[in-house]
Amino acid sequence: MKQLVWRLGAIMLLVALALGGCTAPVAPAASTGGADAPAAGGEPTKLSVIHYFSDTLGKEAMTKILDGFAAANPGITPVDNSAGHEDFKTQILVTLAGNNPPDLFSYWAGARTQFVVDGGRLAPIDQMWADNKLDEIIPAGIASGASTYSGAKYLIPLGYHYAGMFYNPKVMAEAGITEMPTTWEELIAAADTLKAAGIAPFALGSKNRWPAQFWFDYLLLRTAGPEYRAKLMAGEAAYTDPEVVAVMEKWKELVDAGYFVADANAYDWTDAADQVANGKAAMTLMGTWITGYWNGNELQPGADYDFFPFPAMQDGVPNVALGPVDGFVMTAASAHKPESEKLLMYLLDPAVQAAWAQAQGALAPSMKVDASIYNEVMKKASDQVAGAEGFAFNYDLATTPPMAEGGLNMFAQFMNDPSKYSDYLAETENVAKEVFKK
Amino acid sequence: MVRTRRLWTGLFLSLPLTIYIVIVVAPLLVSFYYSLTDWNGFNPEYSFVGAENFLKIGRDPQFFGAIRNTVVWMVAAIFLPSLGGLAIALALNGRGFAGNIYKSLFFLPICLSLVVIGQVWIWMYHPDWGLVNTVLSGLGLDGLRQAWLANPQTALWSVIIAWSWQQMGLAMVIFLAGLTSVPKELTEAAEIDGANYWQSLRRVVIPLLGPATVVVIALAIINSLKSFDIVYVMTQGGPFHSSDTLAMFMYNESFKKYYMGYGSAIAVVLFLISLVLISFYFRQVRIMNEVYD
Repeated sequence: MKQLVWRLGAIMLLVALALGGCTAPVAPAASTGGADAPAAGGEPTKLSVIHYFSDTLGKEAMTKILDGFAAANPGITPVDNSAGHEDFKTQILVTLAGNNPPDLFSYWAGARTQFVVDGGRLAPIDQMWADNKLDEIIPAGIASGASTYSGAKYLIPLGYHYAGMFYNPKVMAEAGITEMPTTWEELIAAADTLKAAGIAPFALGSKNRWPAQFWFDYLLLRTAGPEYRAKLMAGEAAYTDPEVVAVMEKWKELVDAGYFVADANAYDWTDAADQVANGKAAMTLMGTWITGYWNGNELQPGADYDFFPFPAMQDGVPNVALGPVDGFVMTAASAHKPESEKLLMYLLDPAVQAAWAQAQGALAPSMKVDASIYNEVMKKASDQVAGAEGFAFNYDLATTPPMAEGGLNMFAQFMNDPSKYSDYLAETENVAKEVFKK
Repeated sequence: MVRTRRLWTGLFLSLPLTIYIVIVVAPLLVSFYYSLTDWNGFNPEYSFVGAENFLKIGRDPQFFGAIRNTVVWMVAAIFLPSLGGLAIALALNGRGFAGNIYKSLFFLPICLSLVVIGQVWIWMYHPDWGLVNTVLSGLGLDGLRQAWLANPQTALWSVIIAWSWQQMGLAMVIFLAGLTSVPKELTEAAEIDGANYWQSLRRVVIPLLGPATVVVIALAIINSLKSFDIVYVMTQGGPFHSSDTLAMFMYNESFKKYYMGYGSAIAVVLFLISLVLISFYFRQVRIMNEVYD
């Protein structure tokens, strides 16, 4: 026993020494960044950039942008690092909280960016915004919804996506569907026709949970409307409300009718895309990035795939488009803010935005980009957003991360066994109570 | 003399001890500290909430789900890899060249990272073209076809089996080492006394494998407590927490929900559970050593 006390004491002492010793060299290190900031000495300034475009297509396109920037700005060398979406979500926060944050990083506009702004880790770009008259480049809707947090501008949008009902035109034609549904009743009728022809109407790959969210989002947006949804996302409405129950009821009707490919939770979104491409299923509710995936597999827009917007369900509910916005933000700790702003401005260059949109199957936020860069399907998506009465972020970007965890979990649970949806809603409301401290 | 010896011991120990303290003890104490806060792992500000995180553990059904899964995992870890490893070791012991080839084959999975193992088994479990479902169909057992990793009833066991497949190689090697220490005289004596294979196995060989068994089981228990990587790769604890282990649950709470304080509290509980089990292990090893010395 005595020995144990002695040992513990020794350990404590050493810990104190180790911790005390650590702090000394760290403090001055933080300020050294400023010394090499200007490229006066001929040494190029290194800009560290972290992003989540780690797949082949994304990486290639991002490398092209950064190379182009380096060529146009000889004094600045961007150095980039990337991680896959799921890993990025955890890594970036750890990196930001650590001692060596990057100068810039890519992020999803919405609640996730708000979370980082609340932590005081981002630098506002209002001055740059005003100096460059960005209000004339970035549409007001995106400027207020995606770039502005707590009253200040933070995010430069690089691309955005629109979620729609993507389908295989050949499969639809074979089943005799030539007019795409514009109302809920027409959608159900089309699903019945397809099912009778032996084709699963809807593919869904909810293994990583998020692909299921678009169903919840659109059903809620088209019935309860965007205002109610915003309240639910902010914790001002309850998951047990009749509005949400009605959504789950509608969704359950679709599952019960056998419209979905079985075992949705076993598949990725790309599996679902393949099921539509090879005719096993007819449609999948997905974002426009699916066009990038299909183009990569040599599918032809218009002939091999197309989309229609999620149908209207109720009169008097505004038609709102849904999707994520990808952008770049500058960290508060960046020692190279002027150079970082240069890169942010470069991302708004119409040629860069156009190249990015084409490589990713994304839409360009800049108003200076001409619609002629889009293929016919993306042109339609762009028109849909332009004609919509608003733009909403998808669920996991619209509500705060811990809440999104609970909700995404519920969607996966629902796809496994929809009959117990009221239990799931009650559980999710418990999560909401905890998250929003209701 | 004794003093200089002590000095040298201290000197040699200081470097590894410093490293150990910086990367093990200090983070441990820091997580004890954070377990009393509501830190989100990110914001510079946080406040003390006292025992609130530990009280929350007490009423969190997901925590008890994770405990249950960890216990299932532990029990499976005690039986599956050790029995499999023992059977293979007995079958291959003293089989010469061919035996060595088989031993290497069974040991190979240990050389692979669990991430690779997880990925390979994901393909084997694939609902459409995976090996498992294909074999079932080939045997005419179409009714048993499953989306193994997507079905909450089968997800946990599917991961455990993939993990056990790898661990079996480790158990085999330890048992093989144990078998070399079984004196030939004893098995020969049993044979002369008229014992058949099973009798000699049960009464002579297996009792002498005691120390090896303790090591195998202790390793299995410890490895099952830290089971994370393969779960992370294969299911991330899903579908909806049905394959959550304590370590996975801790990760999800800390890094997906950003409840770092709560995650730290779970880590503290996991640490205490490990502490109890490991102290049992060391006691057992000490008793064993006393018996054999």
